[in-house]
Amino acid sequence: MEIATSRSGRILLTVFFWILVVFLYLPIAVLALFSFNDGDPSFPLTGITTHWYGDVLSNHVLTTALFRSTVVATVSSLIAVALGVMTSFALIRRRFLGKPIVSALVFSPLVIPYLVFGISLLLIFTLVDKVLSEAFGVYFGLGLHSVVIGHVVVALPYTILTILPLLERLSVSLDEAAKDLGASPRETFRRVTLPLLMPALISAFLVAFTLSFDEFAIASFLSGSQQTWPVYLFAQLRVPRLLPQLIAVSSVVFLGSLLLILSAEIGRRLAQRRYGAEYSRGGFAA
Amino acid sequence: MLWLVLFFLAPVVYVAIYSVGGIKLFPMDTGVISLDDWSRFLGGGSIYLSLFWKSVRMSLTVSIAVVLLAYPVGYFLALVVRKLKYVLLLVIIVPFLTSFLLRVLAWKVMLGDRGVFNSFLVSLHVRPADDPIEWLLYSQFTVMLVLAYAWIPFVALPIFVSLDNLDRSLLEAASDLGCSRFRTFWRVTLPLSLPGLIAGFVFVFVPTIGEFVTPLLVGGTSGYMYGNAIQDLFTRGLDWQTGSVLAMFLLLVVAGLMMIFGRYVQVRSVAAD
Repeated sequence: MEIATSRSGRILLTVFFWILVVFLYLPIAVLALFSFNDGDPSFPLTGITTHWYGDVLSNHVLTTALFRSTVVATVSSLIAVALGVMTSFALIRRRFLGKPIVSALVFSPLVIPYLVFGISLLLIFTLVDKVLSEAFGVYFGLGLHSVVIGHVVVALPYTILTILPLLERLSVSLDEAAKDLGASPRETFRRVTLPLLMPALISAFLVAFTLSFDEFAIASFLSGSQQTWPVYLFAQLRVPRLLPQLIAVSSVVFLGSLLLILSAEIGRRLAQRRYGAEYSRGGFAA
Repeated sequence: MLWLVLFFLAPVVYVAIYSVGGIKLFPMDTGVISLDDWSRFLGGGSIYLSLFWKSVRMSLTVSIAVVLLAYPVGYFLALVVRKLKYVLLLVIIVPFLTSFLLRVLAWKVMLGDRGVFNSFLVSLHVRPADDPIEWLLYSQFTVMLVLAYAWIPFVALPIFVSLDNLDRSLLEAASDLGCSRFRTFWRVTLPLSLPGLIAGFVFVFVPTIGEFVTPLLVGGTSGYMYGNAIQDLFTRGLDWQTGSVLAMFLLLVVAGLMMIFGRYVQVRSVAAD
């Protein structure tokens, strides 16, 4: 006998599941549909066109915003992955005082409201600028650099969560073997540890990248006049004329992030198979 | 580590100091340490405090609704589906991993007066063109709908994990001992999945209570939330000190929740198991 559900319960749950899937995907599908509609985003559909996509390419402000987001996402993910590796090593291979506090600190950006964090950074940058401009007459102002700093902080726990499980299962004896065979610590890291960690690093990078690329709350406070893509999107939503264009870019961005996520996930699976070890069981580094 | 101390801990502590007037940043700041702003905020009749409770009510409604919707999904995936379990889980999770802003935008396009949904009804001649369903957009309902939509995948995850790790033999034992399916669920399955349920609840409640993007885009005036007040104080009102008080209060509430429920929320078991 099936204990979890009766037959009718099973059917009911299946139906419920697929209704929910439709509910989750319908708005996105509609968005994509209207990006090809020759007219306002409303019924009836008035014809197929790709000229919204063309308009996007000639909209300089928009492409600049996309470019900025790409830069911010790349730089902040690289830093976050580098810091993530170091922190993971420290958390797993070293013993030190106050480790629980450190690990609490590392993971707390997961739960802080981004709104609060964004204004905290805004306040401290304002203070730093005030002090600097009074003392030396220079100041940094707000811009992409401040967004990068904020995004590294919020991406860090995600990268650590992706790297940690693999690092835990990498045997220390591999490092020791390398050492016995005469490799320097640097060489060991570069030729043994790093290649073994590579799949986790790549998926950590992809997770951090998607996170940063879409992040709005922190960027809205810190980007100043250098609007990143989400900030630009948000600001332009009030202009109805631009809406079809925005929908077009959004569809592309959506597709792009979908591909990134799927490749990150597939990468994890491949790595899992390669090492045989069950280091990630259905894990989604969300 | 240094990065976190410099750019995470320091700013947060700094806001706390600023909120009691410990630092003079602008000419109009008093520069005198006092709890005036705090007592004004916590005192009776404060609009911000009532706004906070409104946000709590909205977040609670959303969280409960989302947990109720996500539980059957987790149950289905963990206990009913045999093959393709993880593929179907991925199907549910993927929307969550894509841009939050875009998903809100999608609903805005769907629900406007001349948006997809209303114009669809018009073209079917269900409703006249000059009489759209207005409450679809810019209402509390919309904010809650969109928030629920956005968070279902993320809540299904911890519920799935807790149900998937459940020892099947316990279910069999209950059934052998003469429990009906319903009784088995009520007495065995549900209590054992409670940690996942609570984790899921916290996962929605914490982020939605500080939410400000969704209300801005689809909430109109009636959907205005606590987070919007904070943002307005910083961007328009330029009363940063009151804003800091509000932000610190939100942070304390979240920290308190995490302390109470933290043991259910095993970050690692959920996010990268």
